[in-house]
Amino acid sequence: MMMVKDYLDGLKNGRIPGSRCKRCGNVMFPLKPVCSDCGSFDLNELQSKGKGVVRSCTVIYAAPVRLKDSAPYVVGLIKLEEGASIMGRIIGTDPDHPDDIKAGTKVKFEPLKQGDEIVVAFRPQQ
Amino acid sequence: MKKVDLVGVGMTVFGKHPDKTGRDLLLEAVRETVSHVDMGIDIKKDVKALFIGYFTPELYEHQGHIGALAAEWLGLSGIPAFRTESACASSSAAFATGYWAVASGMYDLVMVGGVEKMTGLNTAGVTDALSIAADNIYELPTGITFPGLFALMAQEYFEKYHVTWDDLQAIPIKNHHNGALNPRAQFRSEILDIAEKTGNKIGVKFKDEMTFLKSPSNPAVTYPIRLFDCCPISDGAAVAVLASGDISKNFTDKPLHVEGIGLGTDTITLSGRKDLTSSKAIVNAARAAYQMAGVKPEEIDTAEVHDCFTINEAIITEDLGFFGRGEGLKAAKEGRTALSGDKPVNTDGGLKCKGHPVGATGIGMIHEIWLQLRGEAGERQVKGNPEIGLTCNVGGSNASAVVLIFKR
Ligand SMILES: [Zn+2]
Repeated sequence: MMMVKDYLDGLKNGRIPGSRCKRCGNVMFPLKPVCSDCGSFDLNELQSKGKGVVRSCTVIYAAPVRLKDSAPYVVGLIKLEEGASIMGRIIGTDPDHPDDIKAGTKVKFEPLKQGDEIVVAFRPQQ
Repeated sequence: MKKVDLVGVGMTVFGKHPDKTGRDLLLEAVRETVSHVDMGIDIKKDVKALFIGYFTPELYEHQGHIGALAAEWLGLSGIPAFRTESACASSSAAFATGYWAVASGMYDLVMVGGVEKMTGLNTAGVTDALSIAADNIYELPTGITFPGLFALMAQEYFEKYHVTWDDLQAIPIKNHHNGALNPRAQFRSEILDIAEKTGNKIGVKFKDEMTFLKSPSNPAVTYPIRLFDCCPISDGAAVAVLASGDISKNFTDKPLHVEGIGLGTDTITLSGRKDLTSSKAIVNAARAAYQMAGVKPEEIDTAEVHDCFTINEAIITEDLGFFGRGEGLKAAKEGRTALSGDKPVNTDGGLKCKGHPVGATGIGMIHEIWLQLRGEAGERQVKGNPEIGLTCNVGGSNASAVVLIFKR
């Protein structure tokens, strides 16, 4: 049975853990323990290669208390090459120019250390 | 199943109530409700169960166990009572619970309500409290906030339908116009009036709404969302009484019949959705409510929808089938959702102006439909004796939804 710990451990080791349904082939990122399409409990773990494109992104000016010193920063929804989407920080781009990152911009996974935790993050590729 | 009728509804003014706690606000809404039951009600004798929505009392008031607390504070200790929670749809969840309780025949009359006392925390504290309606493991660690989640939806909507933030502004302008006519609203001013007042303070003359809305006086919260795209932080409560159709005539000659009720969910993660410009929660809830009521979207005379951020009014009016895909903004721009339009939406000013005390919002919407269908909405009364009204209250980033259809 897949658990949240599998996701967190994977992330700590610099990977994005996902799952693939053995019955219908549905791919899920981050990992889900039950198939969101057919309801099967029979899943394989799947690691993302970390490549994808931006679907949508935003600049956070008003940040949560714990991140107020990091604002402004960019967060986006990334469509991974494997076929599902994941939310992540977008680093290496100027928050003052939000239109630099357009839907379709190619990005690569780069785990970001934030305090004690590892956060899903992506960097735009040339 | 028993028929279920709405026989009374009441609410506090939404806004800042520094001297009142959640339970004080709830009692105030109950007293309002009692005064709105045409033939009177003795709540001690008549109310058989109590369901109260409150999203995060633990964070705002360090208080749990809201059902028993509310029952005691209302002098109703002894009856079944509990809290319902579905983020911003918490009081619609209370309404649904009350509906099932009466429709099942188990109780002939119940009280349902909602409350949220938010302004005791500062903006950052409220932002954190609201954020727990999103996924705390998969998405919040990225630093996303609620305005951020809706910004991601707005960006995808803009990209898909080739519209811009400018097009969105028809919605807050319209809702401020309506809110200015609502004595229970938190903001009772046209945007033009706010622009003039703000301009006078800083020595700038804004020539129209758009000049003001594009100025630094309307600061960015999350790109592309600015302050006037967001509902405010509010305190407030709202309460309704539901009675079996067998006994509702003992309380009023003019009940509203609950004709349709539908609920649904979408993924709590945005990443789990293939399309950010629509919500499976709303689509499913609407389909169920229309089917139960035997009503089509074009038959709805007036609607209250969850404009926590302006983009959501466009998304919801499309998911409800009022307008085609990508046409929600166009409809607002053309004035179709204005008080005088063919499909008036958020005649009370919406969450944007009326305020959004999270746990009270759903029943606050029902309050407006009650006034409109009974012809009691005063200056903002929709013309043509509206007969059928709809509310669409959602939780979080449209991850849960409740759609209700009322007929007079
Ligand atoms: Zn499957």
